[in-house]
Amino acid sequence: MSAGRIVVGIALAVVPTVLAFTWVGSAGKRLAAMEAGAEAAEPAAAIASAADEGYCNGDLRKVLRRVLQSCGLMQSGEVRGCQPVQAKSVATMTGTDFNALFLPLSQRAGIIQFDQDSAELDPNDQKLLGELFADQRGASYFFVVARSSPEGSVEHNRELSQKRADSVLAHLRQSFNDPDLDREVGLLWLGEEFAQLEQDFCGWKRSGEAEKCKPKDINRSAFVAWIDCRL
Amino acid sequence: MGPGMSGRVHIAIFVVACLVGLMFASVSTYDFAQHLDRQVHDLHCSFVPGMASKLDDGGAAGCQVTLMSPYSSVLRAKIWGGIPISLPAMAMFAFLAFRGIDLLGRQGLARRKAAAVLFGLSSLPVIASVVMGIIAMVELDAACKLCIGIYGASLVAFLAAGLAFMAIRRAPADDDEARAPAPGPIGLVALAQLGGFVALAVVAWLLAMPDYSRYVGTCGKLSDTIDKGKVMVALDQNTGAESIEVFDPLCPACRAFDRRLAAAGLDVRLHRKAVLFPLDNTCNWMVDSAMHPGACTVSEAILCAEAGKGSTTPNQVIEWAFEAQEKVRDASKNDPEAAKRMVDERFPDLAACVGSDEAEQRLNRSLRWAVAHSIPVVTPQLYVEGTKLCPEDTDLGLEYSLTGLLDRKGGGGK
Repeated sequence: MSAGRIVVGIALAVVPTVLAFTWVGSAGKRLAAMEAGAEAAEPAAAIASAADEGYCNGDLRKVLRRVLQSCGLMQSGEVRGCQPVQAKSVATMTGTDFNALFLPLSQRAGIIQFDQDSAELDPNDQKLLGELFADQRGASYFFVVARSSPEGSVEHNRELSQKRADSVLAHLRQSFNDPDLDREVGLLWLGEEFAQLEQDFCGWKRSGEAEKCKPKDINRSAFVAWIDCRL
Repeated sequence: MGPGMSGRVHIAIFVVACLVGLMFASVSTYDFAQHLDRQVHDLHCSFVPGMASKLDDGGAAGCQVTLMSPYSSVLRAKIWGGIPISLPAMAMFAFLAFRGIDLLGRQGLARRKAAAVLFGLSSLPVIASVVMGIIAMVELDAACKLCIGIYGASLVAFLAAGLAFMAIRRAPADDDEARAPAPGPIGLVALAQLGGFVALAVVAWLLAMPDYSRYVGTCGKLSDTIDKGKVMVALDQNTGAESIEVFDPLCPACRAFDRRLAAAGLDVRLHRKAVLFPLDNTCNWMVDSAMHPGACTVSEAILCAEAGKGSTTPNQVIEWAFEAQEKVRDASKNDPEAAKRMVDERFPDLAACVGSDEAEQRLNRSLRWAVAHSIPVVTPQLYVEGTKLCPEDTDLGLEYSLTGLLDRKGGGGK
């Protein structure tokens, strides 16, 4: 074989060899540079997190935190709930202001209406409750604020509203096998003593008949809502 | 024309075809090598070697599928990405070009023998092209322009070598040829040369490779793998390493990942459970828009099947969803109810469950599992016994990294 052909052979053998070495080496250098942070990295993907909607203002967050802490939810992770006296003290606001906190939740909340002196959920109540609870999306807390109308004694109404809150929780526990239930659901029972609902709430989702929306009707209820706030 | 001149035109065509094949194979190898930095790159998917195509270009899809397929390289479990088959192709074309040039300078009997050897050797790239072409059509259902360029160059080179061989064989022997000493074992020498060409290129590739083992298992861990909310869907009955796959049934990357896993034969080393994470804002508050419209409904169908709400199994829904991904997404873009109709039609036994409060709530628990474990909002993700397979290793580096992860975990029995 002539020297010329040998040179051609070596040259052609060198082409893929040099190219392979160069390209792989170059990729290795880029990799090392990225590792050293010399090159701008791709923006990291967002991390999965609970929802935090715009209505979660400072006041709502403050009350939410106080209610959750004072009513035993955040520490123990077990539902205990707040009685009217506790609710009044942790909210440190008037009943009207307390209710106003929930106004931005008109699309997320519902009012489960009970019969007079009853804590039983009828099929309409169960249906609305199920729909609202299933529509959790990214919310972290489900508030159940039970009330009673002013007929009867304060003590009786306090007990009745507690039964209504408990009835809602029992239904959720029975219908949804949610292991986080006790960390999510916060119960407040207000009896007739604090933050009675005004007729402004009649336009919200309710389980009661449309015409049954006098103050006494709408307060024989449990106001339920997912709260899309992170604490 | 004298006997020494016969076939020169054919040899010239042969050399040019080999150089063209070398170019196509080089561009393909370059594209492959680019990905060794574990990043995503555009491909040079064109009949004009060197012309870049964007990844979202329809024409580049075939090259993308081919490049990422397990057929694009060998020894993937041992070397990150493996050795691309286009690298020996480069060496082969360079070698054939050399042999063509060498043939031009040969005389007499040696020329006849060398032409026969060249003709025989030029059949190798054609055979390889036929095999790869069948794989591309049957297995991958993809056409890669660079590969077609290589197939074409191989065929032209083979035909030119054949014509050159016939022309040289037909040429009358001259007196010098009769007096010339018998040529050595040209065929064996040529095979040794071919081995040298290929070995040099492969050794260069291996010598320049970074150490990828240090990246295996460095992309984070789950705080726990407990399925407290019963949100996980078993994807198989294997006894391999416990693995959690965060996935969206309408996500093309999830489908591709699933197929790569199966093609690599690694799925059998895992016991996979899926956590559904549809990238559809109908149910997923973590995304601003429906990246995969209809994914929430299909995810509910999978969960309903898992809960035994019909005779359909979760895998049947997943297989259907993978097949009908484009159709479901397109139909759901402007009609939010389209996915539900399609699911009901295909799986009537699940119709009552899909869209129910229970299904909605279960899917929500699945999404909240992602929140509780602070995982990135991206699909697919694979966690092997709690350790995340790096997202950069889910395509070319899959076999190497997953095998490494499984070996470290000491699990993944076959």
